[in-house]
Amino acid sequence: MPVVVIIYLLLLLSVSIVGMVRYNTLTVYGKVLAWSVVMVFVCNISNKFFSALYHNNAPILHTESILEFIFYSAIYFCLFKNKVTKVAVVASIIAVTLFFCYNAIVLQPFGAVFPTNIYLATLSLFTIFSLLLFRQMLLYPLKINIVKQSVFWFNTAMLFYATTMFFNLGMTNYYSQHNWDNFIYYFWYFILCVFHIMIGIALLNDSQQVQLDS
Amino acid sequence: MEKVKALVYLTAGLFTLISGFVIYFVVLYRNRQLKNKQEQEKQQSAFRQELLKTRIEMQDQTLSRVSLEIHDNITQVLSFVKLNLALVNTPDEQQRTEKIAESRELVSQAITDLRDLSKSLSLDHITRQGLVKTIEAEAARLTKSGVIKADLATTGEIIPLGEQRELVLFRIFQESINNALKHANATDFKIVLQYIPEMFTLTLEDNGSGFSPAAASKGGGSGLKNIENRAALIGAVAEITSAPDRGCRIKVSLNPKTKDQYPNG
Repeated sequence: MPVVVIIYLLLLLSVSIVGMVRYNTLTVYGKVLAWSVVMVFVCNISNKFFSALYHNNAPILHTESILEFIFYSAIYFCLFKNKVTKVAVVASIIAVTLFFCYNAIVLQPFGAVFPTNIYLATLSLFTIFSLLLFRQMLLYPLKINIVKQSVFWFNTAMLFYATTMFFNLGMTNYYSQHNWDNFIYYFWYFILCVFHIMIGIALLNDSQQVQLDS
Repeated sequence: MEKVKALVYLTAGLFTLISGFVIYFVVLYRNRQLKNKQEQEKQQSAFRQELLKTRIEMQDQTLSRVSLEIHDNITQVLSFVKLNLALVNTPDEQQRTEKIAESRELVSQAITDLRDLSKSLSLDHITRQGLVKTIEAEAARLTKSGVIKADLATTGEIIPLGEQRELVLFRIFQESINNALKHANATDFKIVLQYIPEMFTLTLEDNGSGFSPAAASKGGGSGLKNIENRAALIGAVAEITSAPDRGCRIKVSLNPKTKDQYPNG
């Protein structure tokens, strides 16, 4: 197993442990976030098993893509204050789930193809959600320092992940044509590592007490 | 090689864009925090000033009431005692005993009145006794003095609303009593304090001459405006309803759970 994958899995395990150890002190949003990291970790481990046993990890990637969207959307649902935005988040979950079914059956078969369509759709939605949350943060600023705010780290992580991964997916064909598959590979893990480091910081900063005090 | 360069530039550009956006957001956020802090300080300063004004007004009103009470009541009682004592020299033993007994009773009454007055002179009693007891004492005093018949009703479990908010509420009560006596010539005054977990309401109702709200707002109506402003200061809402010959009703509502915003709340 390449070193970068081992590093990433160790990082995921550490962030999962942080989330579970601090679970009782976390807010509702933090609890969902902690479970999302555990889910990503389990999916990644299953992914390695599927790759080794069946030489096909597409079913796991399909499952991870939709679970990831549901978890992160649920977090945004908890964080948004505006009712219309909350309804839009729920509507997007329904729409993406329907699209996921259609994509898995017709466009990019569940057991055979990497679900780029789902990723492109969900990453675009994550970018919109993160920008909307940044706007909400500006409208209702808290008293505490922004770098000590869990939501800031989570949202920055989401913006970083959604935009860079979108860029990466958009450039995939180009990289393949020029035999830069290694670049895709390392860039992919670099994005995921940075994303989960920021998620780890978000989990370390999240606390019910801080939410009450602010 | 050129393509590698272009890709590196593109990737670097993307990272710069994201970092730039986040830095810009942080700067903007800090500016908002600073602006909010300044606004909050400004509000707190206005709150403190208004509170000071309220305290001074309360002291003024209390002093003028005490002065009136001493003049109309205690001085009269003591003059009567003096007169009685002047008649003690009479040779009639029974009359002398009666006069002394009467004087003792009057002095005792004067002492009680003076004790009540000394209690009302201190603004701390609202802190010690709370809003309900203070209003109760004031209502009893008003009824006893005969200027107006004040009835108090309290419902729900009494919870402290915070010293400053209770002080402002008491001042609103005083202001409405003033209006009822000076402008409305009311004879009855109803006070209802309603405590429910999410809402506290103070209702003050008189049977005076009333007024047309439109005419009152045209004529300035600074007393009523003061009540509304003071209520807003403690996060409450004051509703004033009145009509000519139909008395006046002031309802102040506030959420007791928002008290952490107010100092000493």
